[in-house]
Amino acid sequence: MPSRTVTVGSASGLHARPAALFVAAAGAQSVAVTIRTADKAPVPARSMLSVLSLGARFGTEVVLEAEGEGADDALDALADLLARDLDAPDTADAPATVEGHGG
Amino acid sequence: MADDLLQRSAIRLGERATDRDDAIRRCGATLVEIGSVDPAYVDAMLLRERSISTYVGEGVAIPHATLEGKSSVHRDALAVLRFPDGVDWGGETVAVCVAIAAKGDGHVAILSELAQILLEPDRARELREATDPDDVLRLLAPVGQSPLGEDAA
Repeated sequence: MPSRTVTVGSASGLHARPAALFVAAAGAQSVAVTIRTADKAPVPARSMLSVLSLGARFGTEVVLEAEGEGADDALDALADLLARDLDAPDTADAPATVEGHGG
Repeated sequence: MADDLLQRSAIRLGERATDRDDAIRRCGATLVEIGSVDPAYVDAMLLRERSISTYVGEGVAIPHATLEGKSSVHRDALAVLRFPDGVDWGGETVAVCVAIAAKGDGHVAILSELAQILLEPDRARELREATDPDDVLRLLAPVGQSPLGEDAA
């Protein structure tokens, strides 16, 4: 199954605001994506409660997985989002327009 | 215990609010009353909510301030306000607010515990329907006792 391993880049961890942005982006994907930390079972990336329950902090390694057509694109977009600092004010305005600019 | 994040005096189960901002002000006022935050924290909570909703699901919202509000926090604490009539929260209906004041990144551990409670439908419903502060203290025990600011796993 296609997967991406990412380190959480948000300074305060995958909590309310970064989690909300991530969940919204996951919900906008054409395929269902799961997210998990090393020691926990995969949970739906589009469920706010499930994502919060992971308790992922800054620097926590998480694994995203998806299957089906468009899985790789979805994983790339979400991995890019997770790696960014979503607590930074300038990312708050453009949560749904993550582009694969590979910077 | 005085060190507990959630004190009985910060549990208000018969609240009413005209709208979301009103509900957040009541949450903030509770945190101010118990000496956890300065009034400035309440404004920061309102700003944060306008940036992105703190609704998490199961009729629960978790109002708190942005990083900029941290300087207004004297002591980490939670407040639980229940709105039996519900509050419109951007299209969702909120029955319970768990307001958070935290200086460090203790948010993450608190939210993780709270989310695990709400992911169990029975416990989420018990929280929404609670009329006794003891029930709230029991339901949220794993949250109320988490050591904030400690680098817990």
